[in-house]
Amino acid sequence: MERTERLRRRRSLDFFMGFAFAALGVFVALEGVKALGDEYLKTVPTVTNPGVTTLVIGSLLALSGLSIGVIGLLGSGKPFAVAAEAIPEVMRTKGFRKGLVVIAEIAVYFFVLWNNAPFVVSTPIFLVGMMLTFKAGSWWKILIIAAVTTALTYYIFAMLAVVPLPSEFIWERLARAGK
Amino acid sequence: MDFATIMGQVFASLTPQLILVIGAGVFIGLVVGALPGLTTTMGIALLTGITFKFGGNLAVALLLGLYVGGVSGGCLSAILLGIPGTPASAATSLDGFPLASQGKGAQAIYLARTASVIGTFIGIFALALFTPILTKLSLQFTSVEFFVLGLFGVLISGTMSGQDIPVKGWMAGIFGLCVGMIGTDELTAYNRFTFGSPELLGGVPFIPIMIGFFGIPQVVDALSSDQETIVAKLDHSRLKLRELTTRLGNVVRSGLIGVGIGIIPGVGEDVAAWTAYGVAKKSSKRPEEFGKGSYDGIIASETANNACIGGALVPLLSLGIPGSPPAAVLLGALLIHGVRPGPMLQFESPAFMAQNIAWLLVATLFMWVFSIFIAKPMQKILQVKNAILMPIVAVLCAVGAFTLDLRFLDIILVFVAGIVGLAFSKGKYPPAPLVLGIILGPFVDTNFRRGMLANDGNPMVFLTRPISLVLVLATVALILAQLGVFRGLRSLFAKKAAATP
Repeated sequence: MERTERLRRRRSLDFFMGFAFAALGVFVALEGVKALGDEYLKTVPTVTNPGVTTLVIGSLLALSGLSIGVIGLLGSGKPFAVAAEAIPEVMRTKGFRKGLVVIAEIAVYFFVLWNNAPFVVSTPIFLVGMMLTFKAGSWWKILIIAAVTTALTYYIFAMLAVVPLPSEFIWERLARAGK
Repeated sequence: MDFATIMGQVFASLTPQLILVIGAGVFIGLVVGALPGLTTTMGIALLTGITFKFGGNLAVALLLGLYVGGVSGGCLSAILLGIPGTPASAATSLDGFPLASQGKGAQAIYLARTASVIGTFIGIFALALFTPILTKLSLQFTSVEFFVLGLFGVLISGTMSGQDIPVKGWMAGIFGLCVGMIGTDELTAYNRFTFGSPELLGGVPFIPIMIGFFGIPQVVDALSSDQETIVAKLDHSRLKLRELTTRLGNVVRSGLIGVGIGIIPGVGEDVAAWTAYGVAKKSSKRPEEFGKGSYDGIIASETANNACIGGALVPLLSLGIPGSPPAAVLLGALLIHGVRPGPMLQFESPAFMAQNIAWLLVATLFMWVFSIFIAKPMQKILQVKNAILMPIVAVLCAVGAFTLDLRFLDIILVFVAGIVGLAFSKGKYPPAPLVLGIILGPFVDTNFRRGMLANDGNPMVFLTRPISLVLVLATVALILAQLGVFRGLRSLFAKKAAATP
């Protein structure tokens, strides 16, 4: 891709991210204003009111977001048109699809497996799944790597550093809570 | 007690058993620092429990060894994987990982370690010779200076790590400050941005954010690229001594910055590393190399964060005020073992300061020797297939975050930070200022309001106190330099001079 086209696309992204941060900054600043008028802080001197720094930092975020948004607008010319052209193109690339698969597998490990199964079960499942998806090698090699990694991590963190890593299935936890 | 007696006690304390214990502490520290999520502070806290069975000297020596090893170990994962093991090594990852990607991981580790050793020596030197002066200086810092210094740290990190337009770095830092404000306000107990969640009352912990921000984008990028390994071919050439000797100015300057920041209570190794990195970039003849694999960048951050150790011990031992978070935990450990740091220490245990210096020297030498042995084997990690290495990194990200508070919320935070980190990396927003902003957010916020309250709400106090004024001027100069104002003025003057007959 040409350098100028790449820059135009980055500026288009700057436009969207800049205004998103500006909006976030406005939200933070408004929270600051809310704190300044809050009943709970009525007796607190204005200079120590947490609303002061919230307002200042929120305004700075809004201002810097706005600057980036404007730079994006000027640099890309038509940010919406550039985005409409770039997004489908990026989504068709192999790298983007692979990235989505990685994020999905990590999400399954973090949100589904981690809290609902013992560490020594969830981790090898995730490692084997991930390594199979990305063709890390033969199945026996993958199994050995997954087992050794899990055992070593468990030994360092759970046994040496005495960190209580998850050790029960969700139904065991629910049954315990029911009792 | 005279000098000869003190030195006699110091050498008598250096028994083979004690030297071995220091070595073990350094080794544990290197492992703890290298693993994302396990911080030096946590390592000292965990080991303090184990040291109950030891005698006072052995326990303190072990913990000091861990302190030195932990601060240095963080750079291993920063260089090899681009994931800082500790916040102190975030600046190191900017140049360390690009060097590792060029196959120069071992050289980067050697250089970082040697810089760390020199940095620690500078810190020890300061501890030995200038404790009374430095203690006086550290007492000059009030809320006003703390606020300006915190803001300076965030802005300098934003300025130095910006890859596209400077305002992106600042915005990342300001966004970090906003995230740092989440939770119950320290001064008024007012809840900000907690959305009714009791888990957010204590604020957002920065370790899961740091792990997610640096780690998850690395995993996604590596696995979605066609590259099979991080580096195709390792560069086995030896690092020339010239690479260090030609940069001695940078080494000394960064060491002094590290000591200076270390003596200031509450400001830690991370700010020291960023400030030294920033100053090195500004004074370099090749600033464009920073962020792409500059030896100067690694030297600056590693010298400064290790020099900070000696600096942080100055107020700890002489005033009983810790100079950094790990020093704060060390203070607790010292108290448990019957050592009461503070002005009375030199009367109660006259040899203690000298012993500490000797133990730090031994720890530093251990760290250097270990690094010689581990650099080359560790570099081989870079040739492990991404399909094998990256899932393991993802597991370490989860375990590292969970280890902190044993909360599922921290795992969620890693994921959210990872997604934001990916957006930041696509938009060329630097991740480091955000992390520093989160760390320093409550510090900046509280000290600003304390400073204002102590001075009847007069904002001019930030300009009338000498140290604060210097920091304000440095911050303004930094912003103006980044915006190209000085360059513009220089060319304007040059044009005027040329036009004058």
